[in-house]
Amino acid sequence: MASVRPLQQLLIEPVATLIEELSRLPGIGPKTASRLTFHLLRSSETQSQALAQAIINVKDQVTWCTRCFNIAMSDLCPICADSTRDQSRIVVVEEPLDVLAVERTEVYRGLYHVLHGHIAPLEGIYREHLRIAELLQRLQTEPVEEVILATNPNTEGEATAYLLLKDLAPWGIRVTRLARGLPTGGDLEWADAETLGSALQGRREIA
Amino acid sequence: MHILNLSLRHFRNYEQLEFTPGPGVSLIYGNNASGKTSLLEALFYLATTRSPRTTNDRELVNWHAREEAVAPPFARIAADVQQVSGYIKIEVLIQLRSQEQHENSGGGSQKLVRLNQRVVRALDLIGQLRVVLFTPDDLTLVDGAPSNRRRYLDMTLSQLDPHYVRTLSRYNKLVQTRNAMLRAWRERRRTLRSVDEELAYWDDEMITAGGYVLAERLQAVADVNTLIKPIFQANTGEAQELHIAYRPSFDFAGMTEAHHLVEQFRQTLQQRRSEELKRGQTLVGPQRDDLLFTVGNVDLGRYGSRGQQRSVALALKLAEVELMRMRSGDAPILLLDDVLSELDLQRRKYTLEAIRHPHQQTIVSSTDLGTFDGDFLSAVDRWRVEQGRVYRG
Ligand SMILES: [Zn+2]
Repeated sequence: MASVRPLQQLLIEPVATLIEELSRLPGIGPKTASRLTFHLLRSSETQSQALAQAIINVKDQVTWCTRCFNIAMSDLCPICADSTRDQSRIVVVEEPLDVLAVERTEVYRGLYHVLHGHIAPLEGIYREHLRIAELLQRLQTEPVEEVILATNPNTEGEATAYLLLKDLAPWGIRVTRLARGLPTGGDLEWADAETLGSALQGRREIA
Repeated sequence: MHILNLSLRHFRNYEQLEFTPGPGVSLIYGNNASGKTSLLEALFYLATTRSPRTTNDRELVNWHAREEAVAPPFARIAADVQQVSGYIKIEVLIQLRSQEQHENSGGGSQKLVRLNQRVVRALDLIGQLRVVLFTPDDLTLVDGAPSNRRRYLDMTLSQLDPHYVRTLSRYNKLVQTRNAMLRAWRERRRTLRSVDEELAYWDDEMITAGGYVLAERLQAVADVNTLIKPIFQANTGEAQELHIAYRPSFDFAGMTEAHHLVEQFRQTLQQRRSEELKRGQTLVGPQRDDLLFTVGNVDLGRYGSRGQQRSVALALKLAEVELMRMRSGDAPILLLDDVLSELDLQRRKYTLEAIRHPHQQTIVSSTDLGTFDGDFLSAVDRWRVEQGRVYRG
C-alpha cells in the first residue's frame, strides 16, 4: 500500500516541511496536506505570498481582547472599545464565533465574555481551562447588572452554564439563560439569526 | 413481525444474497463457516445496529470488495419487514474509511442508516425490526460475567422502548464523564477543593437517566419472571420454580417508582463519595447491577448443572420472545444459531414445539439435519448454505 511516509524521504526539505506543517491542522491528513502543498507549488508567487502574509498577520496583529477575550487588534476588541454599548450586560459565550452569531441578530447592544471552550471532562477540559476567573474579576470592576449565559444547548454547554450559575450566585446580580427553542444538541454559531435573536429576547431568569 | 426479504451485498462471505424466508420456521443448514451464522448476524445487526460477534464493523465488509477497485469498499444489509402495523424497508450501509479519513476521525468505518429510504440516525433504527438471538455462547448469560446479564436486559428493552436506548446511551456517557473527573482527582491532577460543586451537574443528570434505566429494568425482570416460570417448568420438568432476582448496586427497599429510585441513588452516591474519590470510579448505578437465577434457593449460576444452566439460557430467550410479543403486540423474529444440537432430547422437543407457533418467524441454523425428526423437517422451509450462497431445499 502506498503511504506518505517513505515518500517524504524523496522530497526536498522545504516541500516535506510544508506537508508536515499543513497536516498538523485539524481535519487535514497527510494526503490532503500533500495535495495542498503541490497546489501551492504550482500557484503564482503573489498568491502564495498573500496566503503566507495573511497567516503572519493573523498571528502578529490579532490577539485576545484583555477584557472579554474576543478577537482583537489591540488591547480591547471593537465591542469593548465602543463606549456606546450597554456596559451593564454581559453575554457569556464559548467561542469568538459565537460573538459573531449574537451580533448578527442585531438585538443585543451589551458586552461579551468569551470562555474559550466548555466543560468537557472526557477531553480533560475543566473550569480552570476556561476564562471563568477572568469573568468573576470583571464583576468586581465593572457595573454589571445582568449576565446572560449563552453557552451551547448541549450537555457540555449546560454543564458550563450550571457551574457559572453557582459561581455567580453570591454576586447578587441577574443571571439569565437563553430561551429554549434553539435546536438542542447544536451549536450557537450555526443557529440562524432570527431563532437566536428570539432566544435572546425570551431569555429567562435562573438566579 | 416477519421479514419478507433479506438482501446482502459484500457482507462477510456473501458477495450478494437475496434470502426470502417464509413467515414460519426456516431451517438453514450447511458446514461450519459456510455463512449460516453471518446470515443471522446480518438480521441482528439490522435490529440493533451492531454485530453480536465483533465491535469492529470493518470485519463485516467482504474482503473481495476491499481488493476490488470499489471505492470506498462497503457492505450493505437491507430487509423488507412486515410488521403488524404495516410494512417497512430498512437498510444499513457500512462504508470503510480511507486511510486518511481513518487517521483523522479515529474510526475505521461509518454507517449510513435508512428507514423507508430516508436517512435516519442509527438509534432511530433500533426497535423497527425486533429479534431474539440465541447462540451457544449465551450460556454465559447464566455462568458468565454480570455484563452478559445486563446486556440481555438492555438489548431487550432497547428494542422495545426508543426512550430506553437513548437514555441508556446518555447514561453510559455520563458515567464515563464522571469517571474521568474522579480519576483526575484521584491522581491529584486536579485540586479537591470544589468536588461537590463540580460533580453536582453530572450527578443530577446521571441520577435522572440511571433512575429511568433501573425502573425499566426492574419492570422487565418482573414481567420476565411471570413469563419464564411455565417455560422453564415445561422444558425441564423441575417441580420447583425458577426465580430471577435483580441485584442492584444500592438498596431501594423494594420501592420501584422512578422518583424513589432517583432519591435512593442520590443518597447512596453521597454516602460513597469519598470511596469513589479514592478509587477514581463511579461505584453506584445500573452499570454495576446483576441478575441472580435461583431454583429453590440454589444459585444456578454457581451451583447449577450444565443442563440446568442451558435450560435457564433457553428459557430466558423464549421468555424474551414472549415479553416482546406481550409489550408490542408483535412477535419478534427468533434466531437460533446452532443451539439445538446442544440440547438434550426433551429440551429439543420442547423448543421445536414452542417455535412452531403461528405468527412466529424463526430461523434455525444447524450443521446436522440428523438433529431433527422427519415430522419437523417436512413442516419447515429448508435452505442449504454453501460458501456464501443459499439454495432452497
Ligand atoms: Zn472585548
